[in-house]
Amino acid sequence: MNIDRRKATLFGAAAAVRLLLFTSFPGLPDLLTARVEISTPVTSFKRLQEGVFLYNHNVSPYDGGVYHQAPLLLPLFSLLPSSATYPAFTYLLYIILDLLSANALMCIAQSGEAVSSKLFTSPRKDKRWSNFAIAAAFLFNPFTIASCIGRPTSVFTNCAILHAISKAVNGNSFTAMFALSFAAYLSMYPILLFPPLALLCYDRRPPLKNPESIYSFVLGNAVAVGGSLYSLLHMSSLITGSWEFLSSTYGVQLLLPDLTPNVGLWWYFFIEMFDSFRNFFLGVFWIHLSSYVAGLTIRLRRQPLFVLTLLLGIFAIFKPYPSISDTSLFLAMLPLYRHVFPLMRYTFLASSTVLYATLLGPAFYYLWIYAGSGNANFFYAITLVWSLGLSLLTSDALFAVLRDELEVERPEMKGMEIRQI
Amino acid sequence: MVSLLSSSVLLRRNPLILKLPPYLSFLCIVIGVAWLLVLPLDNYSRRTYISENALLPGQVHTYFAGSDQNVFRGYKREVDALEGSGNIEVNDKLEEFFKASGLKVARQSYEYKSAGETYAGENIYAILHAPRGDATEAIVLVGAWWNMEGKLNRSGVALILTLARYFKRWSLWSKDIIFLITADSKAGPQAWVDAYHDTHQSGMVDSLPLKSGALQGAVVIDYPFDHRFQDIHIVYDGINGQLPNLDLLNTVVSISGHMGIGTSLQQMWQHSDSYRDRLQTMLRGMLNQGLGHASGPHSSFIPYHVDAITLQPFGEGWQDEMAMGRVIESTFRSLNNLLEHLHQSFFFYLLMQADRFVSIGTYLPSAMLVAVNFTIMAIFLWVKSGSPNGESSNVSLTVEAGEKKTPLAIVKEGDAKALAPEATIAVRERELFLPLAVVAGSQFLGVLPLYIFNHTPEAMLHPIFTAFTSINGFFPLILSALLTHYFAPTAHHYTLIKTFSLLLLGLFLSSLATLNFSLAFLVGLLSAPLTYMQPLPNRPIVKGVLAVLLSALSPTTVLVAGCWWWELGIGRVLKEAAFGWDVWGMTTQVVVWCVWWPAWLVGMVLLFGNPREEKVKGAGNTIETVKT
Repeated sequence: MNIDRRKATLFGAAAAVRLLLFTSFPGLPDLLTARVEISTPVTSFKRLQEGVFLYNHNVSPYDGGVYHQAPLLLPLFSLLPSSATYPAFTYLLYIILDLLSANALMCIAQSGEAVSSKLFTSPRKDKRWSNFAIAAAFLFNPFTIASCIGRPTSVFTNCAILHAISKAVNGNSFTAMFALSFAAYLSMYPILLFPPLALLCYDRRPPLKNPESIYSFVLGNAVAVGGSLYSLLHMSSLITGSWEFLSSTYGVQLLLPDLTPNVGLWWYFFIEMFDSFRNFFLGVFWIHLSSYVAGLTIRLRRQPLFVLTLLLGIFAIFKPYPSISDTSLFLAMLPLYRHVFPLMRYTFLASSTVLYATLLGPAFYYLWIYAGSGNANFFYAITLVWSLGLSLLTSDALFAVLRDELEVERPEMKGMEIRQI
Repeated sequence: MVSLLSSSVLLRRNPLILKLPPYLSFLCIVIGVAWLLVLPLDNYSRRTYISENALLPGQVHTYFAGSDQNVFRGYKREVDALEGSGNIEVNDKLEEFFKASGLKVARQSYEYKSAGETYAGENIYAILHAPRGDATEAIVLVGAWWNMEGKLNRSGVALILTLARYFKRWSLWSKDIIFLITADSKAGPQAWVDAYHDTHQSGMVDSLPLKSGALQGAVVIDYPFDHRFQDIHIVYDGINGQLPNLDLLNTVVSISGHMGIGTSLQQMWQHSDSYRDRLQTMLRGMLNQGLGHASGPHSSFIPYHVDAITLQPFGEGWQDEMAMGRVIESTFRSLNNLLEHLHQSFFFYLLMQADRFVSIGTYLPSAMLVAVNFTIMAIFLWVKSGSPNGESSNVSLTVEAGEKKTPLAIVKEGDAKALAPEATIAVRERELFLPLAVVAGSQFLGVLPLYIFNHTPEAMLHPIFTAFTSINGFFPLILSALLTHYFAPTAHHYTLIKTFSLLLLGLFLSSLATLNFSLAFLVGLLSAPLTYMQPLPNRPIVKGVLAVLLSALSPTTVLVAGCWWWELGIGRVLKEAAFGWDVWGMTTQVVVWCVWWPAWLVGMVLLFGNPREEKVKGAGNTIETVKT
């Protein structure tokens, strides 16, 4: 009872803060929606409205070349009263999504998978934050709040990913796979989370009398993902009347035709590149992004949840269209590893770098776009710093977890300086 | 192996390196200030030059003379006759004149409310369509009916009317020319330029019925007297410290130089080209930039990336209004030549005199050094807060490690073994919650004065400010006492509070330095003592002295001192600030109340802090090492 009251207070406070921001600053949602740090071409709420308008007027939403998001969002948002006249419904929807994400996060924290998985138990397992603290860190993270107010559709993806993970730690593998395929359907990149997620499901599945082998388990899950993805895509083609949405949604993510600036590393690179090299480097960038999956899954086989956390951090840096909403997802998962924080070496450096980039990013964007006294290099330089800060954070977290594992394997190395030779 | 071990981690514990940062950050401040002081020297500043070749300043013959002087006198008499009339009446007459010159005329009324007062009026403007252009670009000639000092801009408006008639006769314009006469100098230009870019608040400010192309530049004439003048005073500061492109300024300076008219800046009526005068010009410029207020009708144009300046004739000399007209004519001919928006020259500069400047690359390090001093200290304190037994660690390490009293850890590497003092690797677990809450709380408190001073009616501003100043005097004391009473922070907590506060200050100031250099520098300098504040429970005299010093540098005291020095009423300054916030979109207040004031508050709280003895609670609980 007491716990429920605490949870209700936390969620109520988080919802109140968001409602307050939505209602007391009426200009804020539109301002944040227009920020490149929050809205990317594949998640922007403005573009979604354009798509909904076209959809409601029986024009293919992909005709204008503006809308690049999943078709199933269209019936959802056309069922809601128009956000121009009754914005309150949209606000509520996004607030609820954040609360659902927080709820899933609490489930993940509750399970204790982060400190003690099936194959590995950290020696520091007692030192962890309560699931309220972790949910609060997610709900009151300025990045989360900003992306809730800016209403990009990546909020849906984040919610789906968190649900997939929370179902997986509860051993509910088919629901987890459905949530994953929903996330992949919305944004494509979450499909790369499949290997660690399947392993997590395998580790956390309820004990059976005759356990199936890992291969058949993973295969079964792959079939589940494939099946649900197919049905989602088929539904989409029924809604839009053709399969042309594939090239406008996933094609855009793969081939990067829209080079609107964002906090990622791709746009500037592909602006500068000669067209003849474009396809080659698209391949290189995508291979680079997906190469982390196999390596990390194998190396950190004993902690699949950490692989997922790390991959989310890596995606937030190296995705084609990243935004701070992806960062907020990574920062939501990171506090689960509170027990390895003392082992991290560059927390101060990394967080200062991220803070500096957070302030300088908008300043330089302003100098470039509005004041006209800067140029694109200003903003790109700061996105490099931002990515550097996040890479420091991810690699430092990886270091800390490996160190933690090392101390179990070789107790005599405890407390010693580790040096890469 | 041992030598490998010893580099980075041992460096962190090196006693010398741990002692260095306070001096280093002091050095940063000193170098930052010294850097600024050497800028006026010949070796560090540069002579200005025209970057944009298309401008060709002063290369054309000007024809504004002769019979146009009679036209000017006629308009002048009409303007004089309108002196006592209302805004609408004046505009009716002006509309007649513009129409008689064959121009399209439109009007726009506006109404702003700020600090309980209403600022309403009607702007009138006429568009001369370019005979050789396609109406995609325009330049603006502005005159406010009442200038910044509230004087009737009699010769200025007459000159604009004459020039409108004169420009209409020429067929060489390739950009539209807009003649704008605003009702006043503060709200009118803002209303017009907002509406021109469709960013006005509808309801309060009318949309413009007539528009032309993208604005390429704006020149304001402020000529309120009717005798001959000596030189031209150029005003160039925009809102929030933005500046027009240096090429525009250079063009006017070069043109008036060709015509034998001198130019001056920043109300330096006499400039002897000495170090002292250059420094004074630069500092006045920095102050204006730092305050971020509008210094003339041109200021409202600059945020829209429209380069604009105000020209004010001054002094008693032998230049007549026709000379002024020729300067404008020649400037407009130069602007007319532009092939693209002014972009070649600098947007960030400090001017020493009309033909000498320093660019951002040269002056930015001074503000950055001042900001970096806070960051250095923050990093230093962070490292220090991680050392196992607080401040004494470095001493104990050097002594005890020699005596081999510290617990040693054994490193095995195959056959080789090595011993290393455990303390070199141990990192103290930091207690972050209380420090973060204190710093975040004081940041949020800053919203309070920001809201109050921007939303109070004028009559109440002075009393409220007095009340706020007096509360501000003892508020840190109470806050500190509350903190000690309820949370009993340890020295460790105080160190972390200071770390976060300084980190944030350094962060804000270095970001601000890229947007408004002068403000960042001034705030950084005024809060420099914060770097050295720490709880001094056992030294009441030093504490008292520091408290007085810090109070003298508080935002409120600085405001009072500034008002006293320039003999301004505090109520008037605050009203102007509220007007800036409501109408111009001025953000200086945000920096003062949400960056400077919270940092100052935390500094005061630190000074009055009374750290609890750590050992009482038991070192075992608070100090943890990796070795647990």
